[in-house]
Amino acid sequence: MILGALWSIRTRLTAWYVSVLAILLLIFAVIVFIFQYITLTKQIVHDEMQDAVTVEGLLYFDGSGQLHLRQDYYSRPQSHLLVDRLMEVLDLNGAVLYRSDNLDCQTLGGALTPGEGDSSSNERIVRLRDGSRILTISHIHGMNGRDLVIRLGYSLRPLRDRMWQFVWLLGIALLVTILLAGTTGQWIANKAMSPIGLMTARAEGITANNLHDRLAVTNPRDELGALAAVFNHLLERLEQSFQQLHRFTADASHELRTPLASLRTVGEVALSEPRTAEQYRDAISSILEETQRLNQTIDSLLLLARAEAGNSEATSDDIALAPLVEEVTGMLSVLAEEKSIQLLLQGEMQSSFAVYGERSLLRIALINVLHNAIKFSPRGGIVRITLATNNTESLITVSDQGPGLREDEINSVFERFYRGRENSSSPGNGLGLSIVKLIVERLGGSARFDSVVESGASVVLRLPYNRRN
Amino acid sequence: MDGRARILIIEDDRKLSAALVTGIEGAGYEVKAASSAEEGFFLVHRLQPDLILLDLTLPQRNGLDILQQLRQEGADVRVLILTSHNTIEDRVAGLKTGADDYMGKPFSFPELIARIEALLRRVLPASPRRLTIGDLDLDSASRSAWRNGQKLDLTAREFDLLFYLSKNRGRTVSREMLARDVWQETSRYTPIDNVIDVQMARLRKKVDDPFRVKLLQTIRGIGFCLQEP
Repeated sequence: MILGALWSIRTRLTAWYVSVLAILLLIFAVIVFIFQYITLTKQIVHDEMQDAVTVEGLLYFDGSGQLHLRQDYYSRPQSHLLVDRLMEVLDLNGAVLYRSDNLDCQTLGGALTPGEGDSSSNERIVRLRDGSRILTISHIHGMNGRDLVIRLGYSLRPLRDRMWQFVWLLGIALLVTILLAGTTGQWIANKAMSPIGLMTARAEGITANNLHDRLAVTNPRDELGALAAVFNHLLERLEQSFQQLHRFTADASHELRTPLASLRTVGEVALSEPRTAEQYRDAISSILEETQRLNQTIDSLLLLARAEAGNSEATSDDIALAPLVEEVTGMLSVLAEEKSIQLLLQGEMQSSFAVYGERSLLRIALINVLHNAIKFSPRGGIVRITLATNNTESLITVSDQGPGLREDEINSVFERFYRGRENSSSPGNGLGLSIVKLIVERLGGSARFDSVVESGASVVLRLPYNRRN
Repeated sequence: MDGRARILIIEDDRKLSAALVTGIEGAGYEVKAASSAEEGFFLVHRLQPDLILLDLTLPQRNGLDILQQLRQEGADVRVLILTSHNTIEDRVAGLKTGADDYMGKPFSFPELIARIEALLRRVLPASPRRLTIGDLDLDSASRSAWRNGQKLDLTAREFDLLFYLSKNRGRTVSREMLARDVWQETSRYTPIDNVIDVQMARLRKKVDDPFRVKLLQTIRGIGFCLQEP
């Protein structure tokens, strides 16, 4: 199959097709040949039987008891030459009474076998000295009170010649058919495969720079159409993630530049003229604060990359949700207390529902969601954390009484570096919710804002049951 | 030799190296810096330092190679890795090769000093049962604190925080250190910083506000410090 691997699909298809056809034709030819051979042989035996009966009437004893064959009935003398029968007549003792001249004194089958020509015609092939094969029959005939065994045979040479002719004919017909089939097969394969060639050429031309290009779908219902459609779908997703990456890189450099600019400006201003020690201290402190902001942005980006890479088997485990929710709530409760916000844990907090993944990542996701809710809640408000589970999934809902989201914001809040309308000044780097979304999606779940909530915002995290297999 | 512990810094970033030399010398150690692996090796054998601050990404040679060779030679020296390769896997690789501690860049300088001290002390001191800073008294067994003899009403977390600050009296404690040592958080992110700040404000309200002498100080851009003024 090494050669096969080098051939193009269309050549391979044609080769397979032609081989199958050749084998079928060959089987057919062999069957026809055998059938023809048997039929013709039977015909010869039949002719010989008839001839034997004819000969019976032509045999006669002359006065000296010598057996003769009457040959004077030919209308034309040369007709005699047409008779190519070989004949031998023996009495039951095995003595040869008559032998045709063309046997040239050779016996047609040697000594008598018991019962020869009596119950059956004893068809057999006798080989003469010159190598020719004679299909011989025996026939018992009573004459003048004596039983004679008439042996009569025809040479098989004409049959052999005819069969050879037949084989040649079959061979040529086979060859022509296969050649024709091969050519048409190749043509059909070419025609069937030509869209692939077009697709290949088109796909080859698609690079990162023209990802918007698509393959032409000639017939969406056939296999190649489906292939092209799938390929186009792949291109679309690729293009999307490429754009996303592009936007992300741009956003990230912007986010990193902003603190850098502030670092630089603070430093430059501090050094632009002599200042008091207090002022220098202030500038350096400001620079340090800014480096922390920078560092947090980088940490968040790394966290995104880590979540993007998926849960690593080594650090993954079954995470019971209820204790985790409780733990996160406990950790952030001090922030809520500070704003007199009530944190209400509701739902199935006794549930043992668990998901399989990296606990530290899911914990960060929950912390981010709850932190957000506390951040946007008005002083004295209520934040509800509800855990609901069934056999297949669990829902963690975090609702606040804050300003809520506009319809058009519901999806964009999960985008990286997105900041709400008025709170571009609020602390945070706009990565929190995109980290949440990524982490939850990596666990096979989803994160969304409930759009039917009338006041405040409500985040719903759906986590499927995905325990370790 | 003047009995001060000797520290060798192997770090190719000259700016960082120079700042570290100044800072660590200021903390009372004898410091030398090497900017390449070869120079580092030479100095290790000449100075016989007590502790090495080792960068992992050095020109020509990986810091882990140096560490491995040092450990093969059986050098009795503490090694603290400083690196920007800061994943858990890097950490494990570093500690497996024979590092005593591992800090990711950027690190907080007060924390670096704290770790250096801890490494040089070799034997961890037992956590003191009672601590006294000025008129502030802490008892770790009963988890109670008093100022001026007056018992302070602290939550568990507030006590832990105050106790940690008191153990590090006079030393600046960064938010990273608090997140890790008091909150036991493995990574630092925006919400935990908020939690620390709020918790600190609440602690200050209880420990300092009612009294004339203020013990808790915020060092802007660095962290917090508990000391008598």
